[in-house]
Amino acid sequence: MGDRHGIEVSQLVREFPKGPRAIDGIDLQVAPGEVYGFLGPNGAGKSTTVLVLTTLLPPTSGTARVAGHDVVREGHLVRAAIGAALQEAALDPLLTAREHMRLQTTLHGLSRADRKRRGDELLERVGLVEAADRRVGGYSGGMKRRLDLGLALVHRPSILFLDEPTTGLDPQSRTALWDEVSRLTREDGVTVFLTTQYLEEADALAHRVGIIDRGRIVAEGTPRALKDEIGRPSVEVVPANDGDRDAVAAVLGKFGESVPGLNQSVAVRMRGGESELAEVVRALDAAGLSVAQLRLHAPTLDDVFLEKTGRSLEGATTELGEGTS
Amino acid sequence: MLRRTRAGGSFIAVARGVAWRNLHNHFSHPMYFVPSLVFPLLFFTAFTGALGALTNVRGFDFEAGYEGFQYVFVLIQTAAFGGVFTGFAIARDFETGFARRLLLAAPNRKGIIAGYAIAALGRWVFTAVIVTGVAFAAGMTVPAGPGVLPLYALALLINGAGILFASGVAMRLRTVQAGPLMQTPVFLALFLAPVYVPLAVLEGWIHSIARYNPVTAFLEAGRGFLVGRPSGVGLAFGLAVALLLAFGVWALRGLRNAETSG
Repeated sequence: MGDRHGIEVSQLVREFPKGPRAIDGIDLQVAPGEVYGFLGPNGAGKSTTVLVLTTLLPPTSGTARVAGHDVVREGHLVRAAIGAALQEAALDPLLTAREHMRLQTTLHGLSRADRKRRGDELLERVGLVEAADRRVGGYSGGMKRRLDLGLALVHRPSILFLDEPTTGLDPQSRTALWDEVSRLTREDGVTVFLTTQYLEEADALAHRVGIIDRGRIVAEGTPRALKDEIGRPSVEVVPANDGDRDAVAAVLGKFGESVPGLNQSVAVRMRGGESELAEVVRALDAAGLSVAQLRLHAPTLDDVFLEKTGRSLEGATTELGEGTS
Repeated sequence: MLRRTRAGGSFIAVARGVAWRNLHNHFSHPMYFVPSLVFPLLFFTAFTGALGALTNVRGFDFEAGYEGFQYVFVLIQTAAFGGVFTGFAIARDFETGFARRLLLAAPNRKGIIAGYAIAALGRWVFTAVIVTGVAFAAGMTVPAGPGVLPLYALALLINGAGILFASGVAMRLRTVQAGPLMQTPVFLALFLAPVYVPLAVLEGWIHSIARYNPVTAFLEAGRGFLVGRPSGVGLAFGLAVALLLAFGVWALRGLRNAETSG
């Protein structure tokens, strides 16, 4: 924990044989104690970046230093300084949580006394004391994630990598994990590199966000700054009659440029901001168009993604291969 | 403040952790433990029971009886296949993603191979002791001489070579579907050797192959130990050590392959 280095990445590239560039020359810096949210759709290059930074995959070119150590030349030092909970909680279904703790603390070379003490402490911290002696094969997804997080912390890492830690979790488990991550940074000063495809997760946890698409970072900054960059809200209208969609689109087109909306809706980003909302309502009324729903959206990280890539983050799908994202 | 052992996060610590988990799972779960014990015993009883009359074949002269003759084969077979099953375990760990936990947590990744190997050796010693006990109970007699201990030493080297061969395959392919690639060469090498009768009694193509099969050297040296007239010991141990070294390089390169494949 004495290490106060963060993550420094320069022109990092990872190519797969006969495949695309999963990472295409990214640069990023994460300061010590910072929570960095790495946001992008499936296949954007998030997980590949994590694999490289955690020394599980060598880069094709470029450099990456984690906790002050080069991931290629000083992999053993990087591994001693980091903890990681990857996308799939890699647990042995035949071992109990307590046995996993024993294994993990042994791998990290903790003394016998510390092995037990640290294991018990972490089981309590992740709320698995009662289930500690049950085989993890019978655990729920949330319990596995919590155990995985606990295991990543046994050697008090200075940097923690969390690869889509809440994918597939129920809202309660998700909130519990967010609380734990917040506590880790607040109380222990742990640097967190968090990949996610959930906008609200990045919004809730990250001090800074990097948005990655097709292996390239397309935007970076605090969630607030990124949203301010987009600035203007959008208005989304669901016509009462399906046949009125074109007419509604024509009216809304006078107030801004079209953006993707949900299902039957028509949406535009408003040139004049939210002050024009009353004008929009009056214009629709004047055109004799009935409206089922009308919503005003403040800018979100999805809007940022849309602005930078021309696609919506939510529902964006992979075009990259190799089974990593 | 966490205290680290002298081995702190090193080769030994990693090997200890990996070995503990594999031994723990093996001896805690009958699905692993029972087959590894039942199959060699089944081979031993089936071969000695059904083929015992082969001692009447002209040229078959073995003082430790057919039980002793088969015991040597079964012991070497368990050693070699013990290695293959370790390869299965490694491949399964890669397939389930557990190997990533080990690769991530291990500052020194060579300790991972060592850990699997230590566990395999531990499992084999247990099986070997049981098989030996059963062989004696079935009537195997060992005349005065070095007895089973040098045979154990030879089998340990074969076990190590088997582990390293199968580890190399498992770490390159990282799927249990690689099972036949680990199993078949070992199976062929074992059964294209003088399994049921001495080499001198074999004829035709099988004799030609068996003459140059390294397993023949292991069996003949092992059977020599058992009756107190060791022969070809240098060749057998030399071959075993050579295989160990060659497959050691194969396994380390396999580890490198796994490290670069994510």
